Amino acid sequence: MTRHISESELALYSTGDLSLGNRAMARLHLSQCERCRARVEAYLSDRKQLRDVAAGMPEGVNWNRLAAEMTANIRVGLAAGECVAPRTRKAAFQGWRPAAAVAGLAVLLVTGWWLNMPRGETQALGRVARVLMRGHGGIAFEEQGPTVEATASGIELRENGGSMGVSEGSAQPVAVSLSVQGSARAHYVDADTGQVTITSVYVQ
Amino acid sequence: MLLAGALTSGAQTLNRKIDLPKDSPVTLVSDAWGDSGATIRGGAYVLDLHVALTLRNSGQRRIRGITLTVLTQEMTPGGKGSISVPSLDIPPGETFPVRGDLHLLRPVGAGAPQVEVALDGVLFDDLSFYGPDKLHSQRSMTVWELEARRDRRYFKTLIEQAGREGLQNEMLASLARQADRPQYGVQLVRGRSTNADPEHDVQFAFLHFPEGPVDPVDGLARIAGNEARAPRVEVRNRSDRAIRYLEIGWIVRDQQGREFLAASVPADLSLPAHGSSQVLQDAALRFQQPTSIQAMTGFVSSVEYADGSYWIPSRSALSDPTLRRVAAPSPEEQRLVQIYRKKGLDAVIEELKKF
Repeated sequence: MTRHISESELALYSTGDLSLGNRAMARLHLSQCERCRARVEAYLSDRKQLRDVAAGMPEGVNWNRLAAEMTANIRVGLAAGECVAPRTRKAAFQGWRPAAAVAGLAVLLVTGWWLNMPRGETQALGRVARVLMRGHGGIAFEEQGPTVEATASGIELRENGGSMGVSEGSAQPVAVSLSVQGSARAHYVDADTGQVTITSVYVQ
Repeated sequence: MLLAGALTSGAQTLNRKIDLPKDSPVTLVSDAWGDSGATIRGGAYVLDLHVALTLRNSGQRRIRGITLTVLTQEMTPGGKGSISVPSLDIPPGETFPVRGDLHLLRPVGAGAPQVEVALDGVLFDDLSFYGPDKLHSQRSMTVWELEARRDRRYFKTLIEQAGREGLQNEMLASLARQADRPQYGVQLVRGRSTNADPEHDVQFAFLHFPEGPVDPVDGLARIAGNEARAPRVEVRNRSDRAIRYLEIGWIVRDQQGREFLAASVPADLSLPAHGSSQVLQDAALRFQQPTSIQAMTGFVSSVEYADGSYWIPSRSALSDPTLRRVAAPSPEEQRLVQIYRKKGLDAVIEELKKF
């Protein structure tokens, strides 16, 4: 008579979980050993009873109420998970708020440019942009510093393309002229006496 | 920040000084500065000057013209101006007003805003001159005085030949020309200009005055879009006298056929009798958009001989249709026309009788 099979191996054999080799050895032993065969049958009987008990509902349990409680608990759990989960970042330029902020910044920049940058600078930038787009032409850079412009209103001092003011009295000049040596002249005539005054501004 | 920068400015107290030499033929009677003031703009003070002086002829000769220097900073471009009053006839002991409105600059780093008015020169009825002449005002005032004498002579001859009606017609024609004379904005650009347009040369056409001592024979300027630069004119002296200075008037015609006097091209030179020389200026003119320069015309507007005497075009030379249309009348003609407009023909005739 060989040694009896251990309890754990008998339990595994009863559920079909013993390895293939051990299972064959166990089957050979069980065909010859009454005691071990009785243990296996006892295990199978207990298993069947447990299944029968598990298949039936406990007494006094309302299934509908239990299902509703379980559903509610699941929802509460999902909501709690939302609260503690890391927040997902939205795309940078989705929605109207970022667009409005960018538009506001653009308006501020354009207004600032318009108020501060001399017209000549803007025109010069425009010329440079045209040259870059055309791909030909030359760009020469003018000397910085005040210069003069003869206008119908009088002598206008300009610096970096922007006006620094016009020399003007109570009346319009009757004539203005430029000298390429670096000055501008304006002729004024007194309305009452006819006295002529010639003012000049020099930039060289 | 940009907006704040644009709006930042502040009025400043203006220090004023009037400096006349001790031996000056004019003395200061009173001065007023109206609402003159200074404001800071960027790195400079912008001085808005409105000066009204009353001066007295404290010399012994009649004064024909005066030029005052107005200085806010000697070395700064835009820091120097002048006020000239031509066509005067101030006898000894008499007072006369000098008024001027100027916009000048002074660097903030040069100290508090200040302005100094000084005498540059006085021209007398015998064409003699007093003053430091730092602005070459002797030359300008002498040319104005010669133009005044020429024009008064012309108007007097007109009265003799065509009577009051002839003078009146001439006054009305001058008024009409002044009203119709085109005046467009022209900016002086120092050094090389900023222009991306392709450059090309445009030749000058010239108005020739038969009695003129100088003939412009050839010339051109570089044109790029609405800019003209580096005018170069070759001139020939037809006279028997050496010449040390001349001025050339520069007329421009745009793509719409409009003609206007753009600038004068002055030149200090050494032009021997019957010799040739070249007038060359490294400067550029920028015309208001959308002017596109199509053609240019030049004419000699004044000449100074080496001996200090002058030549100016005659009235008949100035009757060229282009010149009559674009050239400004002399200061004396401007004065007489204003007297006609304000007081009538008799006042003009009385004025002419004074000389």
